[in-house]
Amino acid sequence: MKRTLNLTVPLLAAFTLASAGATIASAGSATDDKLVVEAGKIITQAGDPIEDGVIVIENGRIVAIGKADDVEKPWDAPVVGGPDFVAFPGFVEAHTSNGLDRANENLDVAPFLDIKDSIDPVAFYFEDCLRYGVTTVNVQHGANCVIGAQGMIVRPTGMTVDAMTVRPSFGLKMSTGPKQGKSRATQMQALRDAFNELRMYLAELVEEERDERGHAEREALFQGRELEGEEAEGREMGGTAWKVDGLELIPRGAIDEKQAPLLDIVEGKRTCFVQCAGAVDVPHALELARQNGFLARTVLVISTDCWRAADRIAEAGVPVILEGGLVDVRRNPVTGEEEETFVPEVLAAAGVRFALSSENPAQRSLWYQAAMAVGHGLARDAALDAVTRVPAEILGLAHEVGSLEVGKLGNVVLFSGDPLSVTSWVEHVVVEGDEVYSRADDVRNKQLLDGTQPQGTTGGVAEQPGDASKSDEEEGK
Amino acid sequence: MLATWTLLSVLTLPTVCDEASARTSDGNDSNVVWIQAERVIVRPGVELENAAVLIEDGIIVAVGADVEAPDNARILKGGVVCAGFVDPWSSLQVDAGSVDNQNLEPGSRTVDALDPFSRPDQRSEALAGGVTAVRAQAGSSSFIGGIGAVVQNDPGTDSVILIEDACLATSIGVTRHGRVNDVFDRVAEVERLVGQVEKGAAYRDALAKYEQELADWQKAIDEKTKELEDDFKKAKKKRDKDVADAEEKGKEHKDKKYKEDKKPKKPRYDPTIELLGRVADGELPLVVEAHRVPEIRNLLERTEDLSRLRLVLAGATQSEHMAEALVERHVPVMIWPAPEASGRDEYDGFDLGLAGRLADEGVEVLLGSGGGPHARDLRYLAALAVSHGLDRDAALHAITLGPARAFDVADRVGSVERGRDGDVLVFDGDPLDTTSTLQFVLSRGRVVE
Repeated sequence: MKRTLNLTVPLLAAFTLASAGATIASAGSATDDKLVVEAGKIITQAGDPIEDGVIVIENGRIVAIGKADDVEKPWDAPVVGGPDFVAFPGFVEAHTSNGLDRANENLDVAPFLDIKDSIDPVAFYFEDCLRYGVTTVNVQHGANCVIGAQGMIVRPTGMTVDAMTVRPSFGLKMSTGPKQGKSRATQMQALRDAFNELRMYLAELVEEERDERGHAEREALFQGRELEGEEAEGREMGGTAWKVDGLELIPRGAIDEKQAPLLDIVEGKRTCFVQCAGAVDVPHALELARQNGFLARTVLVISTDCWRAADRIAEAGVPVILEGGLVDVRRNPVTGEEEETFVPEVLAAAGVRFALSSENPAQRSLWYQAAMAVGHGLARDAALDAVTRVPAEILGLAHEVGSLEVGKLGNVVLFSGDPLSVTSWVEHVVVEGDEVYSRADDVRNKQLLDGTQPQGTTGGVAEQPGDASKSDEEEGK
Repeated sequence: MLATWTLLSVLTLPTVCDEASARTSDGNDSNVVWIQAERVIVRPGVELENAAVLIEDGIIVAVGADVEAPDNARILKGGVVCAGFVDPWSSLQVDAGSVDNQNLEPGSRTVDALDPFSRPDQRSEALAGGVTAVRAQAGSSSFIGGIGAVVQNDPGTDSVILIEDACLATSIGVTRHGRVNDVFDRVAEVERLVGQVEKGAAYRDALAKYEQELADWQKAIDEKTKELEDDFKKAKKKRDKDVADAEEKGKEHKDKKYKEDKKPKKPRYDPTIELLGRVADGELPLVVEAHRVPEIRNLLERTEDLSRLRLVLAGATQSEHMAEALVERHVPVMIWPAPEASGRDEYDGFDLGLAGRLADEGVEVLLGSGGGPHARDLRYLAALAVSHGLDRDAALHAITLGPARAFDVADRVGSVERGRDGDVLVFDGDPLDTTSTLQFVLSRGRVVE
């Protein structure tokens, strides 16, 4: 059923979708600071499932979870769900470039850009996130870059970027796979140059500051003045791989904002998402991270082919986000035979922590990816973790999302059945205690299923180009 | 889910070898290998009869007739021992997109494009052909190919890099995507290349001058500071008096203007120019693929004043007409003995006797496999050159010690001497006799074939 939805969606005129988006958002605006979620079964992702369970959410956080008999429900709280539903933590999308006005910039090295300037709150993508039960989304710059923009973590609901923001300026994107027009040699060269430039820039700042101070001292001596002692205003450089001595002389505000995010990376203060287009990119990405001290904050965004480097990833201890398909098909250059490899299993066997992704349209959604992984033989727990707990850890949100526990955010998805079953619907989505999606109110979904046409559109089939130009002309008159 | 060929090939190679060596040795797995041979070619021209080679922990520790086998050694017996071949002109292990790239810069590095996962079949073929190291180079046929590396062809998946900055490679007047350059284009390319190297040389000069000036300035400033410190009490007294005077007169006190020499300015750093400076100073050789007389002559003439520049000429179809100048300038010439370059104009008129004739004129010849990923044929290419007049020792030099010296890795590979890596081949006959069989290939002391 979800497949149908996804295939048909692009065929609808943009017009309708905007109105449907508005409907969904308004569903969430009926806020209250308390909510009770009831379910026949709660899959908590933190211990055993709870039969006939209740979740109490207050001020956006879970304050109680347990069997209906054991939990005291506030008398004045609205109730969502019922005995027919299965409650599940909201899925966490560990990395995507969807929902952006533009996924990439022309600039090779652009760490000073912030993705928040490109996020489109009414993008279909965010609407689909709710429809598929995704409640936390890490939006990062597209893969076609050398060093991309600062990303951010959002909740897929709200009419403004501010309303969507969970973590502003989170992470930074890099790619060791070549940007268009580059080869691996020139891509790595550009990456290395960016870090060298940072190092030289900082060293120059320090040298200038020292020269100025030296000059001021000599001037004072010459003029017979006592020089008032200047306090160091900056702080020492952090990080492990390389340091610029004397950076404490420089107030942090004086560091060019074009360089600051990269300095964060070198100091290990910012998570770095490094895109690897093939296994060949993995060793180079890890080496770059080691040389510049950000290995501990590195997350590799890997293609299907990267399974061949699984041992190196495991050795480096970095988590990965599997962005390609689950099964790698390649032709043996010697025998000519096609060989298939189920990538999550290789990653799991090597001991690599991995999150699944629905970045590409072919992967549909996180529940679908997890279901496919189970279908190919991955343990169900591992598959569920790969769309909840692991991405939450990768995003530094393990204390907030990824499981249903007291103290965590009240992000709950109510399914009509098992979350990994193709016959289950996402019926209700609760984000931080607000019910932001209800299938009953999903106008677009309903229209798709009923085959009814929303007003003002010509139908489920895309308009003929001729028709479109005609109507344009009419409008022009 | 499925065991795949990548893993398999890596895993099975050593296993097969263990079986092979078990047949010829006392059979133990120590990291000490003792090879007894009828003849050991220490390096071309130096051969020992009935000698042995002892390798410990991947390094050759002894070579000679009286070298005994230690108790714990794995023993190999064979006909002729010689150094592993070094292909000076290859793109083995290099990511294909970087080999084709026409937009490389002098600072682009082949090590960034090494792909340990690519085509292990090509690597094991090369190993089976006795090629234990290659100069891997991105950007074949691009005007600037960037910095090449010498990489050991180790059977493990990691690329073992002998030298990261082996050379800067360029090519002049070669056919690029079917486009042939006329003579003026070719000479213009020489001009462009030499102009860049000269910029590098100028940067180096400016840097040396700056460092001298900076030292002078620093000295002067230090002296001045000491002087000022000594005079400070006096200066303070005078200032206090001036301040008091000014106050009396109801005027504002103004400090004396302080002047000192400006700190010298550092020449602007540019990674490309910096690299070209290193090339101009001969810290790494400049490999120029050039084929015809006009560009070769122009290249030699235009670089005459760059006395430290180390040139290596590659391709060199018409180079015998420039042999005298090449000998005088000590420029080694790298030849692809049997070019498979259909449609590439620059090989027109190439014949198999070139290597022999150049060597006869006294030119140092290196033999390579032409920049592709098929290094396995190197031995046969050398044999082909021998059959067309190249001296056998010169041919062996051209695929062992010659490339090792040209790219500054002769302390690691290229000869069977104490202290070198245990990259050693064992044949049942002469290495350049095409009917001899390669019995064992050792890479860093491990039997890999």
